[in-house]
Amino acid sequence: MEAHFLTDSDLVSFLNWLEKRGDVYVTARDDDGNVGIKPYSETGDFAYPGVRAFQPLKPFFFSALEEVAEYPSTESPIKESKPFAIIGAAGCDLRAIEALDKVFLEGDFKDPFYEERRNKSLIIGIDCTEPLETCFCVLVGVKPYAEKGFDLGLVKIEGGYVVEVGSEKGKVVVGENKGLFKPATENHLSQRDGVRKKTTDMVEKQSKEFKPGGTWQSVMAKAYEDNAWSKNVETCVECGACLFICPTCQCFLLYDQKTKDKYKRLKMWDTCAYRSFARVAGGANPRDQLIERFKHRYYHKFDYFFKNYEFEACTGCGRCIVACPGEIDMRKVLKEICRS
Amino acid sequence: MTNGDSVRGNTALTPLDYRPAKMRIESITDETSDIKTFRLTFCDQDQNEQFEFRAGQFGLYSVFGSGEATFCIASSPTRRDYIECSVKRVGRVTNDLHECNEGDIIGFRGPYGNWFPLDEMEGKNLLFVGGGIGLAPLRSLIWNCLDLRDKFADILILYGARTVADLVYKEELKTWRERDDVKTIYTVDPGGETPDWDGEVGLVPVVLEKENPSPENTIVIACGPPIMIKFALFSMRKLGFPFESVYTTLENRMKCGVGKCGRCNVGNRYVCKDGPVFRYSDLLLLPQEF
Repeated sequence: MEAHFLTDSDLVSFLNWLEKRGDVYVTARDDDGNVGIKPYSETGDFAYPGVRAFQPLKPFFFSALEEVAEYPSTESPIKESKPFAIIGAAGCDLRAIEALDKVFLEGDFKDPFYEERRNKSLIIGIDCTEPLETCFCVLVGVKPYAEKGFDLGLVKIEGGYVVEVGSEKGKVVVGENKGLFKPATENHLSQRDGVRKKTTDMVEKQSKEFKPGGTWQSVMAKAYEDNAWSKNVETCVECGACLFICPTCQCFLLYDQKTKDKYKRLKMWDTCAYRSFARVAGGANPRDQLIERFKHRYYHKFDYFFKNYEFEACTGCGRCIVACPGEIDMRKVLKEICRS
Repeated sequence: MTNGDSVRGNTALTPLDYRPAKMRIESITDETSDIKTFRLTFCDQDQNEQFEFRAGQFGLYSVFGSGEATFCIASSPTRRDYIECSVKRVGRVTNDLHECNEGDIIGFRGPYGNWFPLDEMEGKNLLFVGGGIGLAPLRSLIWNCLDLRDKFADILILYGARTVADLVYKEELKTWRERDDVKTIYTVDPGGETPDWDGEVGLVPVVLEKENPSPENTIVIACGPPIMIKFALFSMRKLGFPFESVYTTLENRMKCGVGKCGRCNVGNRYVCKDGPVFRYSDLLLLPQEF
């Protein structure tokens, strides 16, 4: 993979150049030490966070609420979006984008709203150096560093960054900033490898106790009737937080609204945790019971999605663990299911 | 998922348009006290000429401002001047549709989904098993097959409803019965008959067993309430029908219609894009969430 070196100050110059090109978002720590995503115009600086942001990246491509049609009308409802760059996509975030791409851009139809923003995005990955206690990416085939699915990838090393080029789009922006990007030396690359090994070891170590005996699919194939589900569902309050914050959850509803002289169709996030999610007007509901919906989330992520795309729709980011008011820890649920 | 090309959806990667096309209600037929059939044409003449679909596919119909609901296209693709859908009044959108009058404009997106395997059905005996409004998807296929009658061997239509008043497409039931190239058996549940009812009295699976059709060289297409399908399948197994030759349609809740919104899944399959037509032996491999 093509790699360059960028000094700390040249990164700032590069971000300033990106800002002329379009919007720029960076990961930033707030006063409490939590990592969020903010416009670069607000932060004026980029402090390498070394971990994923609290929020997922999906709203950049898949809005929580957006108008997808105005009718009757012959005008295209797709609004052209400005180019934008996101700096700070962790390995798990990159895997999530890969999963969203599968759903929204493949199949007989692609979602033009998602596609428009995806085309306008420049994704800059980072390597994790300070994984959270809830991180378990290594259990679902994801690395705690930018392995693939990025345009550019940053690794913090002494005095600057190793910058990997992951796509044609990435290559173009590097080409337009030739003066800033220096060749990466052997020493830079070995520092990069050191960072990667250290973080991988950390995540491996904390994930060890949750490692399944076989593939997730083989675990799920035997788990549907397991008693561990009913015990773990007890504290679920059906709030949907785990699903709204999940970087790969992409379910949505459509609803129509009447405005003065037109009608609008809106697309809005929805979750399979809600009882009415799949209920039909006649009253039949394929997942009427909470435990069925609870299991469905795990089955979708570790079995159904894998069957369709050959990777899990869980990225190991651990956001759902942090978000759950019932203190349900996906790792522990899976561990109990594996055990029995 | 069923049999390759014959039941696969469109293959071109098309940007999804969430805007409905405008269709005019040409006529409305009262089928039962709560089911109406709407005959529709596109307001745009070009769309009328270009529109193509295959039996089994569905559309998302909308009353402007009220929302969309999913129904199969109940008319035959061989009759190209219009499409028809039969709607039971159960919720907001279906209520609003029932309030519509002839000449009103409604919305339509589609056709979506896969279709019945007509090429696999060629040369075979066809057994249609329908219950209640489940006759709607079968009707599209029945007319499709009748319009190409030479391509198929014997055709048997077994259709039942709870009561005589609940039978849909009553005029067409008569037309089919009068044809000598189709055998028909109509039945109503015990207690649902009227004094002048000249059909069978009994549940569809019971009547099926009594008729005892041969599974030899036969494709079964069964659509109806899940409970009827369930018992009809027991009967079919008894009669020796392999589930590989039984097709049915699923009607899970949908929003987008094309596999994005995540609503209509049964295991790793989506009713909207991998269905609505499923081979029964394939359904048995999925979680029974339908």
